[in-house]
Amino acid sequence: MSALLDFLGDYTIQNVLLGAILLGVVSGVLGSFAVLRQQSLLGDTLSHAALPGICLGFLIAGARELPAILGGALVTAMLAALAMLVLTRSSRLKTDAGLGIALSIFFAFGVVLLTYIQGTAGASQGGLDSFLFGQAAAILRSDLYVMAAIAALALALVLALWKEFKLVAFDPGFAATLGLPVLVLETVLTVTIAFAVVIGLQMVGVVLMASMVIAPAVAARQWVRRLETMVVLAALFGVVSGVVGALISAAGRNLATGPLIILAATVLVIVSMLLAPERGILWDALRRRRQERRLEADRVLATVYDLASHHRDRRYAAEESMIDAYHGMATRPALSRLSKRGLVQPSRHMPEEGRHWVLTDAGLDEARRRHPDGQGLGQGASSD
Amino acid sequence: MRGVFTAAGRTADDPLHEPALAVHVEDLTVSYQGKPVLWDIDINIPPGVMAAIVGPNGAGKSTLIKAILGLVPPTAGHVTISGRPYKRQRRKVGYVPQRSSVDWDFPTTALDVVMMGRYGHLGWFRHPGRHERARALAALDEVRMRDFADRQISQLSGGQQQRVFLARALVQEADVYFLDEPMAGVDATTERTIVGLLQMLRDRGKTVIVVHHDLQTVQDYFDWIVILNVRVIAQGPVGTAYTLENLHRAYGGQISLIDRGPLAGPRGPEAPLDAAGDRHP
Repeated sequence: MSALLDFLGDYTIQNVLLGAILLGVVSGVLGSFAVLRQQSLLGDTLSHAALPGICLGFLIAGARELPAILGGALVTAMLAALAMLVLTRSSRLKTDAGLGIALSIFFAFGVVLLTYIQGTAGASQGGLDSFLFGQAAAILRSDLYVMAAIAALALALVLALWKEFKLVAFDPGFAATLGLPVLVLETVLTVTIAFAVVIGLQMVGVVLMASMVIAPAVAARQWVRRLETMVVLAALFGVVSGVVGALISAAGRNLATGPLIILAATVLVIVSMLLAPERGILWDALRRRRQERRLEADRVLATVYDLASHHRDRRYAAEESMIDAYHGMATRPALSRLSKRGLVQPSRHMPEEGRHWVLTDAGLDEARRRHPDGQGLGQGASSD
Repeated sequence: MRGVFTAAGRTADDPLHEPALAVHVEDLTVSYQGKPVLWDIDINIPPGVMAAIVGPNGAGKSTLIKAILGLVPPTAGHVTISGRPYKRQRRKVGYVPQRSSVDWDFPTTALDVVMMGRYGHLGWFRHPGRHERARALAALDEVRMRDFADRQISQLSGGQQQRVFLARALVQEADVYFLDEPMAGVDATTERTIVGLLQMLRDRGKTVIVVHHDLQTVQDYFDWIVILNVRVIAQGPVGTAYTLENLHRAYGGQISLIDRGPLAGPRGPEAPLDAAGDRHP
């Protein structure tokens, strides 16, 4: 216990935790809008395009000054988004192609700048390459103030423009007929997502930041019915993966922070995809299987009923192998389930001839209900 | 704060342009990559009618509605609603887009979608409250979807989704409604519900304009028609403009499907190509 308290009392660990919380909240909230607007790739382009800005910020400030670096990152990320918009609006290029082109050009430029800085500034280059995959332990208290300011601004925008963002994400055409400036709102949303990306640069790095935008939102979508809850849950998932990843990185042997955070988020995505009620793949498969069994049992019941009808005997004991032959498969499981539901029962009729099954009164009613035009058996299940 | 989404300002001393018409479209041309999709469209629709826009595939029916509502940029032309430019009249216009135009897997409920119809009246920064909720529930009642208010929209059938969209338009409390194929791919019950509601709106003096694909039902449902194929082929009251000859000019050889209406009955008088002077009786 005291070891844990020591651990949490550690200055670096505190910074890492606070940073992870800020990052998780902002990327979860804004990632929800990016995912719902089917612009998951936008996060990828924005984060890769931040690299040249990081380098330019460093060159202009002359040192590893976070405000200059993040400011530069924000500028080039937004330039990339603008380039994408111009590309797709002025040509027949589709959005994904535009995003891909903007991503590669800006990232290439960033890598060139990064190698240039490493070549000239030598040892004083200030570990700019940690922005590629993130380095949680490098976060200072003063960095947190910058991150917190950006986070507060982004969240305030979402709160103030909540209903407008929601409508633009769901039905931009309808939003436009209400007189909403859809293009302006979409731009504001994109800029705000750029804010989220910039916050994550130090912890997750430019290469994997896109997953931090996408993964918590995708995981949250599985569990919710409303945008309000999705945003809150995505923020929570973002915080959890950020904290888990950053703690492992800070406590362990200098493992890269970004990949660890993304791996934690991936676990949440996989669990949510499989297990979420209503939308989970596992429940879906179970439901389908249950339905198949139900249908199978219904068909077997119909067969027993048909046999009884043909023999004009509602107590007719149908031999199991005959039912098997009719269905071309073993019907024992289906018959057992019908028996559990009280619709058929095994008969003691000629035990040496193999198992036989008889309709119960309830089974007769059920079969009649399903085949109201069935001939041969009179009304009244219990009249004999 | 009310209605600040709509351009505010001068109204009283502006001269009205064609004030007697609910919808007046003049010289509207829309092109896509250099090719005209709509060419020199003049349309006049009087208030209080239920109008169908019909035409073959690719005739530009949806584009016409979208151009009127400013959703696709026109190359030329202008639109007035009750005598004023559309941009000044947004709050008098309700819109039901094609059902397939949105992602129905969006995490929201039917009630929530309907309340979106009130956003234009709410204006910036105000969130929908009890009043909006009550309106939305009443509208869901009108489309017989009250029981589905809290249902996730992805769990609704196509017809139910269409009715939710219609309820969203109802709470807009508009004077002129534009609907893009509201009867496409819905069940018979939904179609009856929708038509009944639209006719009720018309009887209350609203103008209802519907992109419609089923020529069989035009005469049963509508009292006004615009026949379109890139240009306006004919327009006017169904009784005069909905003629076999006009349909032939719009559809060419594809018209053999029609076995009643103009084919079965005696022909009405020919409508003039430009029915600009027409008024509903």
